[in-house]
Amino acid sequence: MTKAKILFQQTVLISAAILFGIGVLKLTEKALGGDGVIVWPWYVPLSIVLTGFLCSLPTLLLLDQERPGRREFLIRLALQFLSTGGVVSLCGYLFGWYDSWRSYLPIAVMYVLIYGFVWAAMFWLNKKDEKKINEALKEIQDRE
Amino acid sequence: MKVDVRKVVSTEEEGAEIRAMEITEEIQEAIGLLENRRGGIPCAEGSGTVVCRTDEIYYIESVDKRTYVYTKEHCYETKFRLYELEDMLPFHYLRCSKAMIVNIRKIRSVKADLNARMTAELLNGEQIVISRSYVKDLKRKLGL
Repeated sequence: MTKAKILFQQTVLISAAILFGIGVLKLTEKALGGDGVIVWPWYVPLSIVLTGFLCSLPTLLLLDQERPGRREFLIRLALQFLSTGGVVSLCGYLFGWYDSWRSYLPIAVMYVLIYGFVWAAMFWLNKKDEKKINEALKEIQDRE
Repeated sequence: MKVDVRKVVSTEEEGAEIRAMEITEEIQEAIGLLENRRGGIPCAEGSGTVVCRTDEIYYIESVDKRTYVYTKEHCYETKFRLYELEDMLPFHYLRCSKAMIVNIRKIRSVKADLNARMTAELLNGEQIVISRSYVKDLKRKLGL
């Protein structure tokens, strides 16, 4: 898979996950007796896609490795998690998604959930490829 | 596919023409056979030279500017560089990383890693890494 395709896939996944997260937050709010109405200025949908794209960039930290050791991979993964979290916090601040620690908390929780969702989705896509490749390999494999 | 064979009187006239709607793996194999790429790779063994048959090779690796050819039981050194071998080898050989070419027919199975690479287990039990950027080539060669 090319880097561009991975970045595109992640941008789409993260943007979709942010929208899903907002939907769940508003649904919860409505269930708790709130109005559950979303009023967005014009730039919010664009800011979601931009955040999705910026959040996909730290993935490059994980891709530029020929043969990483387990420790190096975990360090890079931690750096990716923190830098992506930094991007979300900065975008949230710039686009006015939160104005206090109290309103930042749901965003932080949503970030962790979205991070887990994107990893799970990427893992599932790779597993799908793995299955297709293994089936095709059986057709041409030498007998030994 | 219809095959026409016509006798000619001189070696200058010898040649083959393939008319096909699509260059499939079988046609690539036929081209390799006609261009005499199926034979083998000349390798050093002691003070002499041995031709290592391409259907016996598991993988070819470059280490410290030297190129090694691995079969089920032997390891030979060859004077050719990986980029030269890529042109000499049949279609079912894949450049799987900067330093390695693998015989796809000797891959038992692949396993997706978290960072979009794949680990391939060969028929002899050895494990090699297929870098992220070469997974696409593997899928193409398998017709996926």
